Amino acid sequence: MSHSTQRIAYPYFAAALLLFALQVAMGLWVAANYFITMPQSLVDVFPFATARAMHTNLLVLWLLLGFMGATFYLVPEETDSELAWPKLAMVQLGILLVTGVVALVGFFFGWTQGRPLLEIPRPLDIAVVVAALMFLANVGVTIFRAKRFTAVQGSLVAGLLFLALLYLFGIPFYRNLSVDWYYWWWVVHLWVEGAWELIAAAMTAFILIKLTGVDRKVVEKWLYVELGLFLFTGLAGTGHHYYWLGAPRYWLWVGGIFSALEPFPILLMVIDTWNDVRHRTRPMQPKLTWIYLIGGVILHFVGAGLFGFAHTLPQINYYTHGSQVTVSHGHLAFFGAYVLLNLTFFYFAIPRIKGFPDGRYDERGGQWGFWLMSLGVLGMSLSFAVAGVLQTYLERIQGEPYILAQQPIRFWMFVAFAHGLMVLAGVIVTVRHLLTLRPAPEAAAEQRLEEGLPSPGYGG
Amino acid sequence: MSQRTAKLIFWVGTLSSLVLLLGLTFDTHRQFAALTHADHLDAQVVAGKHAFERHNCNDCHTILGFGGYYAPDLTRVYSRLGEDAIRRRIEHPEIAFADSYRKMPQQHLSQEEVTDLVAFLQWVSNIDNHDWPPQHSEARWKRSTQRLLAGATLSPPAALVKQEDCLSCHSLGDHEAHKGPRLEWIGARRDAAWIADYLKDPEAMAPGAQMPAFDDLSRDQRLMIGEFIVSLAAGERR
Repeated sequence: MSHSTQRIAYPYFAAALLLFALQVAMGLWVAANYFITMPQSLVDVFPFATARAMHTNLLVLWLLLGFMGATFYLVPEETDSELAWPKLAMVQLGILLVTGVVALVGFFFGWTQGRPLLEIPRPLDIAVVVAALMFLANVGVTIFRAKRFTAVQGSLVAGLLFLALLYLFGIPFYRNLSVDWYYWWWVVHLWVEGAWELIAAAMTAFILIKLTGVDRKVVEKWLYVELGLFLFTGLAGTGHHYYWLGAPRYWLWVGGIFSALEPFPILLMVIDTWNDVRHRTRPMQPKLTWIYLIGGVILHFVGAGLFGFAHTLPQINYYTHGSQVTVSHGHLAFFGAYVLLNLTFFYFAIPRIKGFPDGRYDERGGQWGFWLMSLGVLGMSLSFAVAGVLQTYLERIQGEPYILAQQPIRFWMFVAFAHGLMVLAGVIVTVRHLLTLRPAPEAAAEQRLEEGLPSPGYGG
Repeated sequence: MSQRTAKLIFWVGTLSSLVLLLGLTFDTHRQFAALTHADHLDAQVVAGKHAFERHNCNDCHTILGFGGYYAPDLTRVYSRLGEDAIRRRIEHPEIAFADSYRKMPQQHLSQEEVTDLVAFLQWVSNIDNHDWPPQHSEARWKRSTQRLLAGATLSPPAALVKQEDCLSCHSLGDHEAHKGPRLEWIGARRDAAWIADYLKDPEAMAPGAQMPAFDDLSRDQRLMIGEFIVSLAAGERR
């Protein structure tokens, strides 16, 4: 950490971590609804729909808080100046948290916009926009005062601007359902396969520069190429959501072709990370941060790239669209691409904010968190995939009524739930570890480094 | 590769894709009216969409394949179930799903809201979306039943269905009537005995059902109708 205002990131990270735990706990409840027959009296008060709205909105809120915290950490270091208005950053966090809590309580009492993932009622959207404007002003003024522009922060700020702009398309009421979903995807698809990829690529590049000691020029050059490919495939790739919503037939071609190319930029990111690791001038320490970084890059490719490609072609999507196949892809992609990235950044930044020498920390316990979460989410996604294939075959191909085709799926939802328990255990371990991070036992760490041996008792 | 080439890749890639997306968005807007039959999108349909959002239907159900995956897709629910069955489910989910392992919340909708919702779902069922979803594909309804109907006109149960005028309320094949559920749909869900009992006393089997009782038919006749309907079930294996 080079500037004192970078400390602002910490309360963002802490809030994000607590919401993360709540999100996963809510996910278990959502899964339980699939294999347990809930009594009517409970369904009347707390239906699946409400729990799902909480689960997804918590995800979006905590990931965004993580991105914002990361930005507040990254921008002072990239511009070599203090953040313009640190107090405003705290006010902004307050607004977002209050909005989040009001929204969650509101969902429970049926106060909702009623559109999946965009359930936050319109009056609260205004609060979100105000907070976003504060954020962009704060970051923008910091950069322009310092007059130092780097590709890393350029990508980050472009991603954040793009993100804020797209949110506006989710606010109005659309009379026509097809038009509604058309622009719904401008928020949801262009976020995760556009704006968020810009942010993710910038955060990854920043960490790689700092951890490997590889020349910034090399990292930034590949960053340009990655971003170009992400946006080339991702922008027109929005078409893979337009196959069956009442849009013209050419979207089957455009969506199919562009989204079939979407795995390539992610693959480039994997190769690029690998190259940076090979040409590193510093040791791969701390080990856990590296596990998170590499694990994230790999699961990003598997979850978003491979699982996405599996059902993106219109010939396949005709049968899998709107089934648990989508759920399987969604969980692994979000986890690999954005959850692990945020956690990597937390593991990178928190020891530096706390002033631990060389960013090293006591890794014990942290490994358990990573492996429980990652294997848990992987198992969960595979269970959803089995459920999705069953649903596709029984309902879409055999023509069985929905509720009969769901019967064999209930077992696989139980298997997903069991893996969800593993995920929750991992999340609790990780959140606790990150919030109570201690400096590395110095001498022991030095000795291990000289011997080049994995440490006893450190697990993975 | 030089820094210059890298930047060029970024700008060419981004801008070409952006231009394509915006251009096609413009053209798609020109076609939406025809594809979604926007001329039938009246104030009642819009009121129905408001009700649909107010009660957060979309976080359990999918529509056009989007939303929660917890309850059946609603894109073609109007042509599949018809108005009465939709009403019965919304007005009294606690009765309609009493035996189901999955429940629907009782949200106490007003009669007006229910009527608006039906109008909305009727409008949605006509959106031209390349015949998705496959399980409710109109083309498939027709294919799977045309053959059966051709032979069935000579059969006794088909004569009974005709005599009792079932098709004045139920859809079958490319014959459309939206008061009751589609016969193929019933056939996939129920067995002949259940249908026979239902014909005798609908109220006993599904309280609140709108269908009249056909208790003047004998049990054998009702069973024949039941077997006929079961044989109609859509699906590739039949």
